[in-house]
Amino acid sequence: MIAENTQTQMRKGILEYCVLSIISRGEIYASDIIAELRSAKLLVVEGTLYPLLTRLKNNGLLSYNWVESTSGPPRKYYTLTDVGREILSKLDQTWQELAYAVGISQSGANSTTS
Amino acid sequence: MEKTIIINIGNTIIHIEESAYEFLKAYLNEVKQHFANHADDLEIVTDIENRIAELLTEQLQDQKKQVVDTNDVQHVVSQMGRVKDFDSVEENEEEPVLESSYQHQYAEKKLYRDMDDRVVAGVCSGIAHFLNTEAKWIRIAVLLMAFLGGFGFLVYAILWIIMPKAKSRLEKMEMKGEPANLQGFQKNLNEELQAVKERLGEVNKHALPIFARFGMVIGEFFEWIGRFLSGSGKILFKVIAGFIIVFGAFLLLMLIITTAAFQGFWDSSIYDSFPFSIINDGNRGVILFSAFIVLFIPILALVLFSIRVAFNKQAINKTLSFALLIIWLGGVAIAGYQAAKISSEFKQHAELTQTVDLKAFKTYIIDIDRSRYFSREDSITYHINANENKQIVTDDFENGPFVMPNNIRIDIEKGATNATRLIQKYESQGKTFQSALQNAQNIDYKYSLKDSTIVFNPRFELRKGTIWRNQEVRLQLEIPVGTKVILKEDSYRYVNNYGIWDCGEKEGDKNDYTSWIMTEDGLKCIAQLKEEALNKQKLKDELHDLELSQKNTPVDTLKQDSILNRIRELKEELGINAEDRKYR
Repeated sequence: MIAENTQTQMRKGILEYCVLSIISRGEIYASDIIAELRSAKLLVVEGTLYPLLTRLKNNGLLSYNWVESTSGPPRKYYTLTDVGREILSKLDQTWQELAYAVGISQSGANSTTS
Repeated sequence: MEKTIIINIGNTIIHIEESAYEFLKAYLNEVKQHFANHADDLEIVTDIENRIAELLTEQLQDQKKQVVDTNDVQHVVSQMGRVKDFDSVEENEEEPVLESSYQHQYAEKKLYRDMDDRVVAGVCSGIAHFLNTEAKWIRIAVLLMAFLGGFGFLVYAILWIIMPKAKSRLEKMEMKGEPANLQGFQKNLNEELQAVKERLGEVNKHALPIFARFGMVIGEFFEWIGRFLSGSGKILFKVIAGFIIVFGAFLLLMLIITTAAFQGFWDSSIYDSFPFSIINDGNRGVILFSAFIVLFIPILALVLFSIRVAFNKQAINKTLSFALLIIWLGGVAIAGYQAAKISSEFKQHAELTQTVDLKAFKTYIIDIDRSRYFSREDSITYHINANENKQIVTDDFENGPFVMPNNIRIDIEKGATNATRLIQKYESQGKTFQSALQNAQNIDYKYSLKDSTIVFNPRFELRKGTIWRNQEVRLQLEIPVGTKVILKEDSYRYVNNYGIWDCGEKEGDKNDYTSWIMTEDGLKCIAQLKEEALNKQKLKDELHDLELSQKNTPVDTLKQDSILNRIRELKEELGINAEDRKYR
């Protein structure tokens, strides 16, 4: 139970960072984001992504365009805003720091610095 | 075999099996409930619905089939994830904050009109929610107030204007004082969207002044009338329509019978009475026919319309009703033409005067001949045997067929000369002056003169073949000054230039006549003159007495004044001027 909770917490933080990273590569449709996340085994169900996207969009990190689709309703294609890009670069930095911190805590400071 | 339903999800039309639909609906409700207290619930749910629509469409294309079944929905749901899976990813921290703020708002109740439970405008049920009672008690109270002098109507109208409608979900919850129980709502997305829009609009509406609400209320009132007419009012209208059918049918039957009667099947003498006596012989059939059409068709139309209202059935087709309209218009045209034709016969006026000098007498007696004038035909129809002298038929002036307005008028005036003259004026209308004169000449009027007694016939007759064209007979009796006239009782109603009813003998006397005398100022009642003279004498005597007592006995000034006043009053009444006293 405790393990599960910690896992969830970790995933949550990383999911947001990953989504921003995926979108930063270019205009993308929600289901494509899902496909990528799924292949990375980060996401279990699609339903989770929509609240996240909406929140990011409302915080000004994302914007979207409606694009006509051949099969079904028009799709929302997401892009990163300037704010989003700025935040992503900060997150990148944080991730570097975190990765460094994790590496050090796992194998000791000496092994990595030398 | 399975029943399919067509749904609109994410603006995509999808055929879905009923069981699959139920499953999908339950899932979507779950999703909506989950995001209900989320700040962006609408957008999230719309995104999810769009995605579901897309997934379903893809599956249909992949499997090359037409209808979504339960398996497809299950597949979609597993891909989207159940609600409990959502929780694990998206953070929950902001939710309690939101919820508590909502709860605070709901805690106090607000007065709204309940549009879901309304009879007229939802005022009563709104009050009931506010007071935590059942709406029926409030309704009964309002109805009672309405019967007590209409006060309830006024209160209702004012509350209607003041209380806002509970439109959005939020307002409905505020109205009912419900806690933030968001589990219960099961509205579909479109309704939610609508509610949000209205909520925004409501902010403006609350700021509107009272006057602006009037328009809204009037609109709602008419909407209510519309609902009433299509609802419970319909039964009322059907009952009314039923009555109209019964009475209308009765009326139509009566009309047919009456027409038949006029046509002469039963009684042709109806044309002798006014106003049918105006009509020329030759035109009777045409006028009767057109009158029948003019009356019959509207009643028929009313009955047919009532049948349609009562039974929701069209009694006759359009062609027939159009034909009826044409016939009716034709009838109106004929009737109008005939009416114009008849009225044109009243266009010209002619007067014929005949003067007869009467022998001079000191006293004339004026009487009315109450015995009816009977023609030969009348005598036969009434079985009056002319040879039996003891039979007298008198006219009571009231009964009998009213043929036409044919009363006479007698005017008694002061003669210019010393001769007594009777001037008879015969007047009539006609199409031309000549025909008017002809009609006047055809008046047959009789009076008899026997010594000093003049007996007038109360009516005039028209010679055979003459139609009523507003003929009138005016008799002008010119009498020299000083001549007495005795008016017999029956003549009262024909002598019309004097207030005959004022002239009575003293109480107790029951004479059937009144005595008059011609003076310089016109005809005067002798009894009245006598009374006036008597009165004058009395006043004179009193004046004389007072003047004597004033001269002889000295009294106190107060009494002196009252005597002087009385003397002045008496003098005024007698017509003695104040100046006269000065000279004396």
